[in-house]
Amino acid sequence: MLSRVANSLYWMSRNIERTESNARVLRNQLIQILEASAEETLAQHDWDMVLEICTSFEELENIKENNKLEERYIINYLACSKENQNSFMNCIHIARENAKISRDHLPDDLWGIWNDFYLSVEGLRKGSLSKRDIHDYLNRIKLATLTAQGAIESSMSRGIAYRFIKIGKWLERAEKTARILNVVCNHSNEDGEEVHRNNYYNWRAALQALNGYEAYLKSHPPTMDPKLILSFLITDESFPRSIRYCINHVRESISEIEGGKISHYSKEIFAALDELGEEFNEMKIKELNLDELSDFLDYFQNRCNDIGKIFSETYYLIEPMESKE
Amino acid sequence: MFKPYKTEPFYDEMLKSNGGPRKHYTNFHQILQQFSEEELKEKHETAQLSFLRQGITFTVYNENISTERTMPFDFIPVIIPPRDWKKIEKGMIQRTEALNLFLEDIYHEQNILRDGIIPRELIEENPYYYHQQMQGINIPLKNHIFLAGIDLIRDEQGEYHVLEDNLRNPSGMAYVFQNRFVMRQVYPEFFENHSIHTLEHQMPYMHDAVLSHIPPNSESANSPTAVLLTPGMYNSAYYDHVFLAQQMGIELVEGRDLLVKDKLVYMKTIHGLKRVEIIYRRIDDDYLDPVSFRKDSTLGVPGLLEAYQEGNVAILNGIGNGVADDKAIYAFVPDIIRYYLKEDPIISNVKTYQLREPDQREWVLEHLQELVVKNVGASGGYDMLVGPHASEEQIELFRKKIIEEPHQYIAQPTIKLSRAPSFQNARFYPCHVDLRVFVIRGSETHVLPGGLSRVALKEGSLVVNSSQGGGGKDTWVLKGNGSDPSC
Repeated sequence: MLSRVANSLYWMSRNIERTESNARVLRNQLIQILEASAEETLAQHDWDMVLEICTSFEELENIKENNKLEERYIINYLACSKENQNSFMNCIHIARENAKISRDHLPDDLWGIWNDFYLSVEGLRKGSLSKRDIHDYLNRIKLATLTAQGAIESSMSRGIAYRFIKIGKWLERAEKTARILNVVCNHSNEDGEEVHRNNYYNWRAALQALNGYEAYLKSHPPTMDPKLILSFLITDESFPRSIRYCINHVRESISEIEGGKISHYSKEIFAALDELGEEFNEMKIKELNLDELSDFLDYFQNRCNDIGKIFSETYYLIEPMESKE
Repeated sequence: MFKPYKTEPFYDEMLKSNGGPRKHYTNFHQILQQFSEEELKEKHETAQLSFLRQGITFTVYNENISTERTMPFDFIPVIIPPRDWKKIEKGMIQRTEALNLFLEDIYHEQNILRDGIIPRELIEENPYYYHQQMQGINIPLKNHIFLAGIDLIRDEQGEYHVLEDNLRNPSGMAYVFQNRFVMRQVYPEFFENHSIHTLEHQMPYMHDAVLSHIPPNSESANSPTAVLLTPGMYNSAYYDHVFLAQQMGIELVEGRDLLVKDKLVYMKTIHGLKRVEIIYRRIDDDYLDPVSFRKDSTLGVPGLLEAYQEGNVAILNGIGNGVADDKAIYAFVPDIIRYYLKEDPIISNVKTYQLREPDQREWVLEHLQELVVKNVGASGGYDMLVGPHASEEQIELFRKKIIEEPHQYIAQPTIKLSRAPSFQNARFYPCHVDLRVFVIRGSETHVLPGGLSRVALKEGSLVVNSSQGGGGKDTWVLKGNGSDPSC
């Protein structure tokens, strides 16, 4: 397969996944704030977290500096801002551009679903949404991303194109999970006085943001113990957004692409994956205090990002495609 | 409800001059009567939406802003009876064969120039004559024309004429397939009681034809790697490229995916470099290789021409085909056919005045308001004067242009292009149509049954190009032995 095509499939998939997960974070937030008044500092901090998860710490600072930290602005920034590279609209657009240049490798249905979705979110492109609009869009994003995944799973041969799509998805997930845990962990440390209540709240938000709340409750008590949640989201082997699950599947897929062999050019990526795997084998999350956890998560998030880079180098992929309008 | 209209002074594809349907349209006409305008309007919208959803669009640029547009689809097909089709098919095979012999001759012995059939300066002054790059090069199968798109029109008697040859990068084949696809999806009722040549089995011909162009220094003559080279997703014909690559199962590559090393062409894959031996390119000659052609081309592949000259790669269509399909050479194609094949043309040309010739120029300048004037180097309906529809200023502008650069223009009588009924904006009206026939040449020559019927949807307009408001129609070639009367 051409590297350029592999690259497009990979970034298409990452951007579909990013659309889905960022939309979920915003949806949860919109539900959460229903019960809090706008004045409550708690709510303010929540928006900090949302922005840090969906964009970056720098962008959050930037927004604060320019005095724009208000709900309506943030929602539009997350949903349809052109400046925000990770706004839903940009992710949907980048995914479509990438699908368009690799569409001879995609099932027609998948292209059809995403193109149709893109054409139907005209409102997002125009910007400035009402609260009702945003709920409607969040729902449509959820359905479109799930449908797209369904088309991939039900109609694609398990060949190289499929593997690159899946690897993109899992790497995006692993990075996102690491980021969410990191952000939540930092905020839980800061909150001082109201530690208990906030922790409960923040860690539940982490589970929800990763769509793991239901799965967690199946095997754990509903008390939100940070250590149990961390070990669930990092090391659980069956939950499809845990870091271990994602990294294992990335490794498996690369191994499929390489026909089970490790060659000189693929040595580095396998080594990096194995190293990260061992990291959480040895780890006893329960023994770390919150400060140590925070350092660990920093390191961990960086390693996840590195794996994405090494993967790109291994297959001559290029850095994120610039969005062109 | 469909009602007949006055057909004169044009030939109508569907109606006789008394308003009744031609024999090969009887069935269709009958089914058409059963639909209300409301139903047809609904179907029309479904059809347009289907093109948009599938992303079958072309990109229009306006002040640097690109918009994706669909080509309007009109559901009333152009139906061609077997006898007419047989003749077209033969005519197209004959014409492309002669044009190919012409190209081979021009880039080798140039007998046709020596024998004085064609004025030498017409070749040597042609900007698409790539003497330096192509002279004396032996190419696979001696075939310069892998895919030709020949545009046909019908005069008031319904006689077919060739309007234009496209031997460089004819586009539109994907639309032939998609028009049929949408027609079958949205208008299944109309196929009842018709027996039509299917398009389902056409792609293997195209695929075989691509693979038959094995370069002299091939390392894998049994399974050469072929690719389709596209300028990329911002090209207006990008959908065409995607479709053909996908249907033939060959890799769709951009210039940046290829590189030339030691005069061999490779593509960059996730597992390193892979040799490429056949390139069906959809990039124009000028942009193909910045080393040998335009230096500023970022679409091409440096060193590609050298690999080609060395016999390490086949390039389809051949380089330098523009010397055979511009509007100045067009006038000589009947002579070309007689010269190489010793046959008379089966499908004739439209009468063409050479403005280089003082006598003809004189006459043309006096009759501009009756004529169509075209720039020999332009296509897509640009730099063209349609005399009967032109203003006084436009005519004067072209008079000046002709006097300044007479060799740059030709003139033709305004052909009364045939019409077919169309249904747009919830009403029926007659529109002018033409037909692009696709000829696929490899070890064997194959003509795609039907082709792309283009329709000028603006009432009274003669310009069918999609960039200027033209649309498409499905084209049905009826099955039969060819002995039935055509109408």
